[in-house]
Amino acid sequence: MNKRVYFLVGFVFILSVLGIFYYGLFFSSDPKEIPSALIGKKAKPFTVTTFDGRKVSLDQFKGQPVILNFWASWCVSCRNEARLLEKLHRMYTPMGAVFIGIAINDKRVDSLAFIRKYGKTYMTAPDDAMGSISLDYGVSAVPETFFIDKAGIIQHKHLSEINLELVHEFVSKQLAL
Amino acid sequence: MKFSIVFSFWVLLFAGFFLHAEESINDQVRRLAHELRCPTCQGLSVKESEAGIAVNMKLKIRNLLEEGKSEEEVLQYFVDRYGEWILRNPQKKGFNLLLWGLPGVVTLLAIILFFFSAKKWVVRSEKTRERELSEEDKVQIEKDLEKFNSLQ
Repeated sequence: MNKRVYFLVGFVFILSVLGIFYYGLFFSSDPKEIPSALIGKKAKPFTVTTFDGRKVSLDQFKGQPVILNFWASWCVSCRNEARLLEKLHRMYTPMGAVFIGIAINDKRVDSLAFIRKYGKTYMTAPDDAMGSISLDYGVSAVPETFFIDKAGIIQHKHLSEINLELVHEFVSKQLAL
Repeated sequence: MKFSIVFSFWVLLFAGFFLHAEESINDQVRRLAHELRCPTCQGLSVKESEAGIAVNMKLKIRNLLEEGKSEEEVLQYFVDRYGEWILRNPQKKGFNLLLWGLPGVVTLLAIILFFFSAKKWVVRSEKTRERELSEEDKVQIEKDLEKFNSLQ
């Protein structure tokens, strides 16, 4: 009887360990997808001076959906998404969406060269030397994009390059297109 | 002369005080940076990493401490923005207590199990030693010994 119990306990234990390994290998979330603690919370307010010298605050866009993108000139994925972001800005800004790009850990001269090279015309501004805005948004890497709804609530965070469908879905829903 | 000695004494005292204060804030920054996970690196703490975001985080820790925030408040600042994931050691509360307590409980259970099993083994071996040989066994042993001696 005792032997049977020991065998059963051992069997269940080994099976549990194997189950955890199996789950870890095939069903766990992508390690690159770092969970954000800010989803569903109010977007942190910030004020920046854009590269072309305008003072911009997040608060002034209340009532409009905001696509807040963190980027850097040295980031390869940011180069890949740069033209798409500009295209999306030209498509959705006239309808009421707002595109803001914050450059982090970047030299001003490099950011400006990047803006010129990829023809960015939407609002772009540098973060401060400490990266206060990016830290306030829990940014872990670039590019990272936050979707802030008309009420100023962060609805979604996207790590890595942005895609057309994601922005289209968000803006359409927010602007009831 | 006397004035310069007294003056030097006070200058050294103040310098020592400020150097000590500076050192202690550095220690705090290092300690807190060690408790935070570098978001862009694999398996590194903010303290060990020189990645841009990790450097920013170190500056932010210093900034918050200089603003008068406590160490708990500094850690909470990052937890509020990155989630509990950012802590290298899970907080000792709620469900996490299970994580901290389980290894201890399992070790204790293993020790108890080992103690009782060992006790059983000792009792069993003592019983075996004490057992009297039956007549049949004695005859068999005699036979085996004879066989063994004849082979030599």
